[in-house]
Amino acid sequence: MRRPTIFTPELQQRHGKTGWLLGVGGGVLLALSALLPWSYSFEALDGPSLLFYPSPLQVMGLVLGLLVAVALVLGRRAGRRGRVQVGWTAGARAAAVGALVFVVIVLVSIAAELGGLVNVDYGGWVALVGALLALVGTRLQPAGRSATLYRAAARSWLELVAIVVVMAAALFGIAYALDTDDPGTFVSFVVFVGALVAVLVGLGVLGWLSAVSQRHRKVLILSAFLVAYLFPFTQDGSDANMSIATQVIVFAATALGLNIVVGLAGLLDLGYIAFLGAGAFVAAILSRSAFSTLDFHPPFIVVVLISGLVSATLGLIIGSPTLRVSGDYLAIVTLAFGEIFRITMINLDGEAGPNLTRGSNGIPAIPELNLFGFDFGEPHVLLGIPLGRFSNYYFLLLVVIALIILVFSRLNSSRIGRGWVAIREDEKAAEAMGVNVFGLKLFAFAGGAFLAGVAGSVKAHIDVSVTPDQYNFLQSAFLLAAIVLGGMGTVLGVLVGAALLILLPEKLRFVSEFRLLLFGLTLVVMMRFRPEGLIASRRRQLEFHEDDEGLAERIDDQIQPSAMKGATA
Amino acid sequence: MDVLQQLINGLSLGALYALIAVGYTVVYGIVQLINFAHGEIFMMGAFGSLATWLIVPGSSRSLAMLVIMLVGGVAVAVGMALLTERFAYRPLRNAPRLAPLITAIGVSIFLQEFVRLFFGSIPSFPDAKSAIPFPQIEFVTGPAIDLGGVIIQRAALFTLVALAVCATFLFIFVNRTRLGRAMQATSQDPDTARLMGINVDKIIMVAFALGAALAAVAGLSWGLRYTNIDFRMGFLAGLKAFTAAVLGGIGNINGAVLGGLVLGVVETLATSFIPGTFGGSAWKDVWAFVLLILVLVFRPQGLLGARVVDRA
Repeated sequence: MRRPTIFTPELQQRHGKTGWLLGVGGGVLLALSALLPWSYSFEALDGPSLLFYPSPLQVMGLVLGLLVAVALVLGRRAGRRGRVQVGWTAGARAAAVGALVFVVIVLVSIAAELGGLVNVDYGGWVALVGALLALVGTRLQPAGRSATLYRAAARSWLELVAIVVVMAAALFGIAYALDTDDPGTFVSFVVFVGALVAVLVGLGVLGWLSAVSQRHRKVLILSAFLVAYLFPFTQDGSDANMSIATQVIVFAATALGLNIVVGLAGLLDLGYIAFLGAGAFVAAILSRSAFSTLDFHPPFIVVVLISGLVSATLGLIIGSPTLRVSGDYLAIVTLAFGEIFRITMINLDGEAGPNLTRGSNGIPAIPELNLFGFDFGEPHVLLGIPLGRFSNYYFLLLVVIALIILVFSRLNSSRIGRGWVAIREDEKAAEAMGVNVFGLKLFAFAGGAFLAGVAGSVKAHIDVSVTPDQYNFLQSAFLLAAIVLGGMGTVLGVLVGAALLILLPEKLRFVSEFRLLLFGLTLVVMMRFRPEGLIASRRRQLEFHEDDEGLAERIDDQIQPSAMKGATA
Repeated sequence: MDVLQQLINGLSLGALYALIAVGYTVVYGIVQLINFAHGEIFMMGAFGSLATWLIVPGSSRSLAMLVIMLVGGVAVAVGMALLTERFAYRPLRNAPRLAPLITAIGVSIFLQEFVRLFFGSIPSFPDAKSAIPFPQIEFVTGPAIDLGGVIIQRAALFTLVALAVCATFLFIFVNRTRLGRAMQATSQDPDTARLMGINVDKIIMVAFALGAALAAVAGLSWGLRYTNIDFRMGFLAGLKAFTAAVLGGIGNINGAVLGGLVLGVVETLATSFIPGTFGGSAWKDVWAFVLLILVLVFRPQGLLGARVVDRA
């Protein structure tokens, strides 16, 4: 399939030089425009209205503009030979596209917030012209060879520094994003981050980083958790953002569990939320809530296990008949199971059935957790920084999600994980190779249910009350959307997807009405254009693009060196 | 008499399921796709009929109006089904199986929200965020008919007649026309069918359109029977209809009709005759799905046998 293109190779041949000048000029123009006022009023966004005093958003514009110019200049000087190639042109192109989207979003936000494009001052238009010029200029450059930076091996202290820098940037970025309460600024920032990542991909730096992170896996994971643990200390005791952060982690933990089922084993489970609900209800009923219907209140550690086991048992009951027949049935049976669960929880109210869940009222007033004398409801002060209720739960949830990530990655690289992938790709071939198809499928299904039950038991205490309607089909669809958006079968992808799906509606109140519409559309568009998700696992990417030979070669090329290193190490 | 009464109620409910189930089974038989959005196509059919009634001046409640509404509903449902087929499913025809399933869920959510958000923004249309009263046509929603103790609502009778008519046409279409036979051939072996000169793309579109048309008939019947419609109605109805399709044997059109009727009867009888706390309408959906799971355990090929080529 050929894509129609304006910038044909011939055109690039003829006007390459002009394009280079245009691109550098556009980039510099965009960078300079940051010093000019973009809007007439200080009210817009974060106040990009002062001469020679750029606001944070304008600095982002400046950075993108400089990236275009610098990448083009360095790309011209760089030699064409050598084993390690930096993708200067690709980087410049990504920066230019990102810059244009960024500027357009900023201008549209200014117009939306102040009422009309008249509120955009001359600096804004200069920025737009600069971004347009940069886009045209970079497109007129012939596409260089793709980056092979991942082959480079730097000194190991440098690699460690790189990891630390990335982590610090992530912490800073998350704190900044959560601090913005203005929708326009938030979207612009997200676009900026996306553009930066795209530039890094284009340059090949991301490839290098991923090679580095493979070499220093333990350092990476430890520093990631360190950063996650440091996050509450950036909040000055405010619990508002921590509440969002706990939501993100609960959501991500559940989505990771679902990712084992969907992403690894390829079983489409549409009733997954019911397992979370089962865990939450078990925890609520066994808690010391005054509304609990059973007179049995074991300590929380036991409750967690019971919740997981109850969910896993439900998984076995649903899974064992359906996993024997065609995989398509599973989707619909789990969908039906989600409904059965919700209806049953509503019906167990003492009238239509035995009183277990108090019907649609659910079980409120679930007490705060108290582990080893540590009360999660009480605010604490650590290192002089006050930490609220949600921060406490956040720390606990990090442990839970770490556990789930551990299970996920260990399983993924084990014999079981290989079996799942084999089943996902070709069930008959897998069976012929001696993979225990039914057993592994059932294990994936019940294991995923167990993890959801565990997550649910913690969620019950965070939410304080549990009602059946929290666990409807749409929640299952959200979980699925997080996986599809982020990347099936990857940990990082699911984390990113979950964060986006919680943060975007939280920060963009005005789209909340259209939230579901956009989710539905996202699912369709992602499946059509990038089925492997934003952050793809390489294997998965290949599966979805079987006939793309070039991609196969690139991935093969990237995998080989690290695989050889692994063999010699 | 009570059993007979419940049997009639069950059959008329089952007729609704059967009309929707045909759409699942036809599409599944040809492209092996569970079209989750089919429930929403049914909902679109109902809203299409309502929209037609609102647009056609005079807001009459005559029998002619019923026909116009039916045409309007069918047009909307078929149009929507063809659009989703063309833009959502067709590009994914050779993708891994998970992809079209997820797309189908996306389409389903999208269509629900689309109706919820935008139906009311058409001038003089009511807001679709809550249930909308459905126009009642005198002839089919008048006083119930009493047959020696057994009471039949006219709308229920309409549904049964509609099913009978549709099933007859469907039977003739599938078995006697060129297009219908081409459809059978495609569902048996698409590659060979293509070699025999059958335009498989066209057949798939016909399958989607056929299912959508019957779903629209069901949508209209639903509106007449339950007197109001809302944007969520497709979810549960679609789920039940799929259950019916599996019950009858997926890919088997006769099976879908039979499965729908059986499911309706089972659901109604379970509601009335299961003693104790687990009877009654609170549990009726649960029993329907328990039936689905039982069928998958004991007779996964369905009552009349599945007619699906295993292409995995």
